[in-house]
Amino acid sequence: MPAARRIAFICPRFAEQGTVGGAETLLKALAERAAADGREVEFLTTCATNHFTWENTVPAGTRSIGALKVSFFPVDDDRDVTTFLTVQGRIDKGVKVSRADEEAWIANSVNSRALIAYLREHIGRFDRVVMGPYLFGVVYAASQVAPEKTVLVPCLHDEPFAYLSIIHDMFHRVGGLMFNLEPEKDLALRLYDLPERGTVVGMGIPDAPTDPNAFARKHRLPNPYVIYCGRREVLKGTPILVAYLHAFRERTGRALDFVFTGSGPIDPPDELRPAIRDFGFVDESDKRQAMAGAVAFLHASVNESFGIVLLEAWLSRTPALVHANGVVLRDQCRRSGGGLWFRHYPDFEECLLRLLDDPSLRQRLGESGRRYVLDRYNWTAVDRRLFAALDGGAA
Amino acid sequence: MNDPSVLTIHAPGVDTEALVRDIQDTVARKQQQGVYADARIARAERSNLVNLRDDESFTGFYLTALREASAIDINDFEIRERRARFAPLLVKLKKSIWNLLKFYTYRLWSQQNLVNGLFVTGMESINEQLTSRIKTLEARVAELEKKLDGR
Repeated sequence: MPAARRIAFICPRFAEQGTVGGAETLLKALAERAAADGREVEFLTTCATNHFTWENTVPAGTRSIGALKVSFFPVDDDRDVTTFLTVQGRIDKGVKVSRADEEAWIANSVNSRALIAYLREHIGRFDRVVMGPYLFGVVYAASQVAPEKTVLVPCLHDEPFAYLSIIHDMFHRVGGLMFNLEPEKDLALRLYDLPERGTVVGMGIPDAPTDPNAFARKHRLPNPYVIYCGRREVLKGTPILVAYLHAFRERTGRALDFVFTGSGPIDPPDELRPAIRDFGFVDESDKRQAMAGAVAFLHASVNESFGIVLLEAWLSRTPALVHANGVVLRDQCRRSGGGLWFRHYPDFEECLLRLLDDPSLRQRLGESGRRYVLDRYNWTAVDRRLFAALDGGAA
Repeated sequence: MNDPSVLTIHAPGVDTEALVRDIQDTVARKQQQGVYADARIARAERSNLVNLRDDESFTGFYLTALREASAIDINDFEIRERRARFAPLLVKLKKSIWNLLKFYTYRLWSQQNLVNGLFVTGMESINEQLTSRIKTLEARVAELEKKLDGR
């Protein structure tokens, strides 16, 4: 297998401006590192920025963005959304659907014939095609163009879609697999009955200087606060966090506020509204300062394959509190010694009371988390794993 | 081509597993003392769909919280006044209003308590019946699978 000198990266959305998402951020970062290493990189993506509507909002064409050559292709506008949602609803409920239904679902998922045609036409130029996440039509179709050159970055979760036979076949078909963490790899090997294969690469998290008092001072926050950064959705667990914090404040009488950065509705009960501080999109520096001042970083999602924001919080020396059913985030907390996990509200209350009442515990957890990220997710270490995986095909 | 450090890194100093175990023990102790028998927790747990789906013991916990929270306290209570000025007068006024209202509210709330109690008992009974039926069916499935394997 030749060294990966010319690489295409494929992701349904490109992470810039308001387009945020862990997988998008990851694919973009990996592409940038490969380009910085002197490899010829082209990033293929769609013109969509909204992951609910998939409307083509960015003009089609090729632009240079930073060190990357990015080609935008329109999302097909003839998808049958009714078929897609009907089958998706059944899959989501755990109903076993036929192979034909699975194929109808992926065919009417987010696809771009223009992107696939471009890839087919230029596949000879590329030594490797790196793509992800796994559950989009455009990635599924791209994985069939040149499977032997394909390295899938699945960002796999234990969710009903992962159990489909078409997904099983895709994991067997592709030449290589790049995972974010060991638990994700274990899940893939177990679900798809794969022999030992694939490489755990992850992503580098850059360090940034922080002052734990700066954010509260700048925004005149009177009370201690917990923080969540990212998209606010049911799947991300934000409603649980809001409900739990509401109960916590009422039961304990503690004046603890909840800072949010990112996008999406929060919808707190009226009594909690004064304690919610929604800053929307903030720049990286402000986000890290906000994290640094928090009592804890809260994350109740049970469907994460990496948890970039968790690692950023640890770099800011802030302990984490995550849902026990989120295998990946709990595993990160266990390995790093940087966070605690809760099964239900009583655990949440007890964890938070300890973090609030014991500053030395907070500090020790935060420092452990920071050491873990610096050791494991510095770009030097990640680059080593990434380039070895690319050149070896991540087989 | 895995990096072995993925499996070997552990942060020195904080054993979070032991810490979480200790927290869970404390929670179990407090749970026995009735610290979490609170309608506000039952309300908050509605968002925790993961537990509702996966954790059999959660239903038991939820029902206990519901039972503890379903009984409304309809007994007399001490009437106070925070404002120092005219406090004795205001307390007397509040007491006389309460004496007038008590007759009607007692009847209303005692009936509500009865409804709440019956509702929780009904829920507990349904849960017990379903749990027992599922256990019987699981045992039957296991037996049938055993028979099939033996063929």
